[in-house]
Amino acid sequence: MDSLALILARFQFGMTAFFHFLYPPLTIGLGVLLVITEGIYVYSKNQDYLRITRFFAKLFAINFVVGVATGIVLEFQFGTNWSQYASFVGAIFGAPLAIEGLFAFFMESIFIGVMLLGWNRLSAKAHWVSTIFVAFASTLSGVWILVANSWMQSPRGYKIGSNGIPKMTNFWHVVFNPYFPSEFLHVIAGACEYSAFFMAGIASWFLIKNSKDMVMRKALKVAVIAGVIIACLQIVLGDISAREVVKYQPTKLAMMEAQWHSQRYAPETLFALPNNKTESNGPQIGIPGMLSMLAYMNPAAKVMGFNESIKYINHKYGLKLTPAMFPPVWIVFWSFHIMMYLGFYFAAVMIIALFLLLKNKLYDSRKMLKVFWFSTFLPLIALELGWFTTEIGRQPFTVYGLLTTVKSVSPNVSALEVGLSLFMFVMIYITLAAFAIFLFKKELNERLKGKDELAGEVSNMAGAKAKEVLS
Amino acid sequence: MNLNILWFILIAVIILGWSVMDGFDYGVGGLLRFISKNDDERRYVMNAIGPVWEGNQVWLILGGGAIFAAFPRVYASVFSGFYLAFMLVVWLIIFRAVSFEFRSRVESKSWRNFWDTDITVTGLGISLLLGVAIANILMGVPLNKDHIDYQSLFSLLNIFGLAGGLLSLSMFLMHGSTYLIMKTEGEIQKRARVFASRFAYAYIIFTILFLLLSLVFAQRLANNSFGIIGDIVPVIMIIGGIGVIVSAKSSSDIKPFAYSVLGIVGAVVSLAVGIFPDIVPSSINPEYSLNIYNSASNHLTLFVMLIATIIGLPLVLIYAFYAYKKFGLKVKMDESSY
Repeated sequence: MDSLALILARFQFGMTAFFHFLYPPLTIGLGVLLVITEGIYVYSKNQDYLRITRFFAKLFAINFVVGVATGIVLEFQFGTNWSQYASFVGAIFGAPLAIEGLFAFFMESIFIGVMLLGWNRLSAKAHWVSTIFVAFASTLSGVWILVANSWMQSPRGYKIGSNGIPKMTNFWHVVFNPYFPSEFLHVIAGACEYSAFFMAGIASWFLIKNSKDMVMRKALKVAVIAGVIIACLQIVLGDISAREVVKYQPTKLAMMEAQWHSQRYAPETLFALPNNKTESNGPQIGIPGMLSMLAYMNPAAKVMGFNESIKYINHKYGLKLTPAMFPPVWIVFWSFHIMMYLGFYFAAVMIIALFLLLKNKLYDSRKMLKVFWFSTFLPLIALELGWFTTEIGRQPFTVYGLLTTVKSVSPNVSALEVGLSLFMFVMIYITLAAFAIFLFKKELNERLKGKDELAGEVSNMAGAKAKEVLS
Repeated sequence: MNLNILWFILIAVIILGWSVMDGFDYGVGGLLRFISKNDDERRYVMNAIGPVWEGNQVWLILGGGAIFAAFPRVYASVFSGFYLAFMLVVWLIIFRAVSFEFRSRVESKSWRNFWDTDITVTGLGISLLLGVAIANILMGVPLNKDHIDYQSLFSLLNIFGLAGGLLSLSMFLMHGSTYLIMKTEGEIQKRARVFASRFAYAYIIFTILFLLLSLVFAQRLANNSFGIIGDIVPVIMIIGGIGVIVSAKSSSDIKPFAYSVLGIVGAVVSLAVGIFPDIVPSSINPEYSLNIYNSASNHLTLFVMLIATIIGLPLVLIYAFYAYKKFGLKVKMDESSY
């Protein structure tokens, strides 16, 4: 295996995972928001909430299919490009993937057909129930995928067998590995946070064009109320996730915080230009003692530096890793820090918006609406940077402490083959993203031109019932 | 019976579920440009699978996950060994997965034409490549002593692989046609009856061709571990094909589909019987083959997965039954259709 093939395989995995993850958070989070808006409609019979649901369901559908299309390769890529990894961990890692298919993805995909094409075939309540199934199943799907990922971060429930390959010894220890609860909550909250901003951003766009759009006013209201709760909660959840890093992945923590040397009263570095060659940060701004405080609730606590953390895991796992095998610290540091700063920005935006909502000034505040429109996709950046932190920060391991990335790659796939497939994936995924954006814009413009979500729906059971009630 | 044998059977069941449920999606897709002429007809045909194809596709995902969990070495060897061929299948699946939703969003004629071609090409391509891959596995792949397969894309394109491809292509086109007989009415149904019987003829011919070629290229089919019973199983395929030809001419809407399912059952059982107890035979040395023991996960994994399947699979069938029931036997178009 030449190293070019490895680099390309890593790049391909990163690229396909990056593109895939642009979509599932909206499937999860918007699913939850649609359950809320459709639920309000079912119980209040207010047709505007049905309009919100149906409009956003169109965007949901586009996003969903691209998410599915880009996700298929991820299920198989462990076999195609990471066959040594697959043979090594299949007995443990394969199980959550299969269970995801069986318990979550089937439910999601079957009910999405019912939800998107069944408006005229189901009563309002039965339709709402299928929306609930879709939202529940997409979250459950997240559960199992995150079980698999968190196991790679903090493997448990296994024993190395006589052939040197891990065997599963306890399924529930695999599932509830130390990373799982916090990673799951952090990712799902991120998905909901993005979706609240997505709904708020699009509603704001319509309100900028026409501030009397009563339907979008309601959508914005729902998004702000959900958003403020989730954005504040997310700061707490992020903190909890970081504490798991402190406990189980000292090398990642050192990179996230650009700590080169072990020290007591370790500062929380806010700005730095980390340089692996000189093992220093250049100009930096930090809050003294803050990192020790956040990590150990004690400003005098010692935080391990980069080199010492490597020595520590070498000793713990019986390895011989050198600092040169680790990724550039600045990538992990800035991924983590920009994500964190965005998290605070999101909470601030939502709190201000809630304040304006309570003052009854939200819908007429063009500034606020513009901020929302500008922020529509910002949480996606935070979500992706979160994965950069988690996945790049785990390097040089695929399974922390257990298997390195170098030893995971397929030995029988050449650089030429990976290069070719990588090129195709880049082309295809850019095309798909362009199509998705084009179709999003088209739906927005059609609504702006006055297309009513409930037009031409005389036969619609859900719609017809609402009309009866209103007349 | 031990867990390894049970998992071999369960994987066969999942492959069967996939071939039966997703097989007609590929077949209907492959037929789209030929069976329907204008936009109304095409939408009508598409909506025969419209509400259910997403769910059907999950059989593929489940199959991937189940092989990964139960027989990780098979998963690792086959997918890395067939690298570019498999990538090609993935790209076809990607372009098919978005086609229905994308097509219906824009009314322009050229846009819809593009996606109609896309649906047809991807349906045909996936149906063909599946058989090529399976025929090559049956023939044996060059697994070395570490069970690693070094081969190129072009080595898959041999006579036996091609025969396997034509067999699966005709099988899925037959299956898609019979599904349309069941789901549609009027002109489209008439055409579907003609297509079903034509593809059933092709299916029978390619089955016989494949079996004859197997005497040269994959003798394990004839020398299978089940003796005479194993030799008779492929006859089910031919019975299914004949059943489709006969019933397509009758007035029954459902029988052709049922016979087509029988044909697919015959094909999957023949495959399972022919390959057992190996999963991926090695063409270099039989001892390097991956079988249900040397490729499997440990006992606990197989056990946990079995419990999950016992709970999960009936649930899947319940949701699927509900969805199929809600949309009725015959396609009815409304404003939320594709």
